[in-house]
Amino acid sequence: MADFLQQVVNGLSLGSLYALIAIGYTLVYGILRLINFAHGDVLMVGCYAAYFGGAMFYLPWWASLLGAMALTALLGVLIDQGAYRPLRTAPRISALITAIGVSFLLENLGIVIFGGRPRSFYRPEIFDRIINFGDVRILSLSLWTPVITAGLCIALLLIIHRTRTGMAMRALSRDMVTVRLMGINTDRIVAYTFAIGSALAAVGGVFWAMKYPQINPNMGVMPGLKAFSAAVVGGIGNVTGAMLGGLILGFLEIMLVALLPAIAGYKDALAFLLLILILLFRPTGIMGQELPE
Amino acid sequence: MRRSLLEIKGLSCSFGGLRAVDGLDLELEPGVLAGLIGPNGAGKTTCFNLITGRVKPTGGRVTFEGRDLAGLRPSRINHRGIARTFQNIRLFGDLSALENVLVGFHGGLRASFISAILRLPGYVRQERQMEKRAEELLELVGLGRLINEKAANLAYGSQRLLEIARALATGPKLLLLDEPAAGMNPQETATLSRLVLRLRDEMGLTILLIEHDMHFVMNICQSLTVLDQGRVIARGTPRAVQLDKAVIEAYLGAGIEMAQEEGGDA
Amino acid sequence: MRLLGGIFDLGPLPRRSATRGRDNMLTVGFCLAVAWVLYWLDGHGDPYLVHMLTMAALFATLAVSYNLINGVTGQLSLEPNAFVACGAYVTALLTLSPQEKMASFILEPLVWPLSEFCIPLLPALLIAGSLTALMAFLMGFPVFRVRGDYLAIVTLGFGEVIRVVAENAQSVTNGPLGLKGIPRDTNIWWAWGLLGVTLFVIVRLVNSSYGRALKAVREDETAAEAMGINAFWHKMLAFCTSAFFEGVAGGLLAHLLTAISPKQFDFLFTFTLLIIIVIGGLGSTTGALLGAFLVTFGSEHLRFVEEGFTVPLIGLDIPAIPGMRMVIFSLLLVMIMIFMRRGLLGRHEFSWRWLAAVLGRRTPAGGGK
Repeated sequence: MADFLQQVVNGLSLGSLYALIAIGYTLVYGILRLINFAHGDVLMVGCYAAYFGGAMFYLPWWASLLGAMALTALLGVLIDQGAYRPLRTAPRISALITAIGVSFLLENLGIVIFGGRPRSFYRPEIFDRIINFGDVRILSLSLWTPVITAGLCIALLLIIHRTRTGMAMRALSRDMVTVRLMGINTDRIVAYTFAIGSALAAVGGVFWAMKYPQINPNMGVMPGLKAFSAAVVGGIGNVTGAMLGGLILGFLEIMLVALLPAIAGYKDALAFLLLILILLFRPTGIMGQELPE
Repeated sequence: MRRSLLEIKGLSCSFGGLRAVDGLDLELEPGVLAGLIGPNGAGKTTCFNLITGRVKPTGGRVTFEGRDLAGLRPSRINHRGIARTFQNIRLFGDLSALENVLVGFHGGLRASFISAILRLPGYVRQERQMEKRAEELLELVGLGRLINEKAANLAYGSQRLLEIARALATGPKLLLLDEPAAGMNPQETATLSRLVLRLRDEMGLTILLIEHDMHFVMNICQSLTVLDQGRVIARGTPRAVQLDKAVIEAYLGAGIEMAQEEGGDA
Repeated sequence: MRLLGGIFDLGPLPRRSATRGRDNMLTVGFCLAVAWVLYWLDGHGDPYLVHMLTMAALFATLAVSYNLINGVTGQLSLEPNAFVACGAYVTALLTLSPQEKMASFILEPLVWPLSEFCIPLLPALLIAGSLTALMAFLMGFPVFRVRGDYLAIVTLGFGEVIRVVAENAQSVTNGPLGLKGIPRDTNIWWAWGLLGVTLFVIVRLVNSSYGRALKAVREDETAAEAMGINAFWHKMLAFCTSAFFEGVAGGLLAHLLTAISPKQFDFLFTFTLLIIIVIGGLGSTTGALLGAFLVTFGSEHLRFVEEGFTVPLIGLDIPAIPGMRMVIFSLLLVMIMIFMRRGLLGRHEFSWRWLAAVLGRRTPAGGGK
């Protein structure tokens, strides 16, 4: 029982991370119909930013985190302006290939600039405590992660449903042409979308780095791909779907390792199997939002 | 009593909450040249999409030559003998006019890809025949001099004709033309009329066309079916349909009625 | 901006059937010339150059195959790495002697009956290619249920699944350790021979009615279906043919590198092939060939940026920066997609008619045509 509780918390924690990253994918896809391959690598940049914030500038963890969020938001917008915007009217395959290119570019720039060797990430004291619930020993990070994630998600949903920018974002994901015709500056809304998505991914990345306390230039690849799968499972284009998908994937992954340790090595394949199954049987995902063509 | 070539009974189709086609009945006898008209959004193209299998109906049945077309994919329906052109021209832009038409012949190719790779005599013979027939079809629609031009580079009117040639290449018995005269000037329309009549008379095709050009439709169609909001509101000869009150209302709105009542100028 | 593409656009060329006989003679002659050059190199050439040409030929085979599904049929598949891996592993497992296998599989023994026998290279390659094509066939059913970016992601997913399987199926693939001691059978003849066969099959296919059907599916799948082309089966055709040759090339690659591991067949491999066919021009077989040679040799020549060099004239010392080559290639891909999406050749192909037309133009005062 104690073990189960532990795994539930782990699942929740991992799921929250996937959810935070998945949101970025779903926001961008909803508006631009583009799979932002570089999203996972933007997350990586955020982690390094937070790392240097602490290691070079001796900032407290929350300051590093905020700095990382700002930096990744900026990076996300730059990538869109520089690489994706010129291809707005091009065939979608071209934009996808470009996104792959940007992704590789970031990874390799990371290797060149930061070196390929993994670095140890600092885990602040507040997240480093072990909390005991009777037999159960839980790392405080694993409790804080879902809490902070929930807070951010609620904030995001409020933005999307209660502010004008959020409304514009929702309108944009339905019909970009008409929104533009109504005089709304779509470029600005798209920029916001990238900024928000990237900033959330930075949070996810930093907490990921605290959890497996190591960062390297390729660290964003797997979490990115898995989070994308989660977004699709939840219903791509739907923010709540992304959150749901992330949680589900996190849970299933932890459960797989806990209950079937013999095939634990295949846990990375789980996300993709889920993705393939969902695309075959319910392509609109769990939240099932039929995206207009 | 000749058996109808195409029989549609109670065909319905909805997109989200919208009933695009609602209980449509239609019958075509072999060799007839019929028209499907109606105001914009009446469901005419959707009707074509339903017949050709591009869209799945939510109710009703389409029977061709006595066989049900339910659940077949579009390529199978084409093999059964139904070909179409598209409202927004859908050519293979990067291929030449000749190649576009040759694609139409591919469905009838009786040679495996292995024999194609090895250029076995059976394949080579069929390829030569296809090329010859393709040139003839292009000549028929008047594009004889443009066979090697890239389809995307052709003039609009020529593109429409190319679509027809391509559809003919699939060897259909029923030809569905979706606004073939759209964007054509009167001269081109006249040439098109003659072509469509030739197709019916010389090639024995049954033709159903969607058009907004009333002149064109009145001149060549033997029968008309009028659609409005997914329903058939009138059926008959062009003459009869022209005078049908429901049809006039559908096209012009009830306003015309009131204007007439008040005795104002039409 | 269209570099070579602009040169290729000469307008309608004389019909192929008119020049077919002459074209075939020229092609055969050209092949003989190439074979003679290879023969000479094999005997007298610089071994480094021979190795490079062998690698280039293998990558050319991969590029031409990959181009068939991505460029000609327009289905963005991101899993060639899985097919190459499959071909490499199957071939290696079939040709390694039982003793070698025992030596490699130290964590878990290799499954029976693979542990007991080994066969020569050619049948192993054919079996590997066929199994890879079969794998593609089975994958095709789920994969082609979706289109566009979803198709790309599903294939990426499958590619990753295969990699994970390779890393975990200890008793079949030897897990992360991989296989070593593979006999170094691949020489310039095998590689160029495979390239020749691949080109023969794929060029013939693309230039046939089936090739037109594939292109039709690429241009407009709905219209293609309406014209009687079963898009699903044609995509399968391209996919499986592509997989077959990628598998065989993978087998030869294994016998060139003599050691393989799952790490080698990751997404970076797919990315390399992608950049090759994008540089050459998505949809052009000639482009894929060109791209493969450019990238293989270019990658070698770019080694200097990773080893530190001195800028001539200025005497500026640039330190060694490992990983710089990939930065350059990634940047190159992004630049090409933004400014020169069609690549070098676009969708144009080399043909003898084209060459004749170009030469004919250069002749002063009408050199007859």
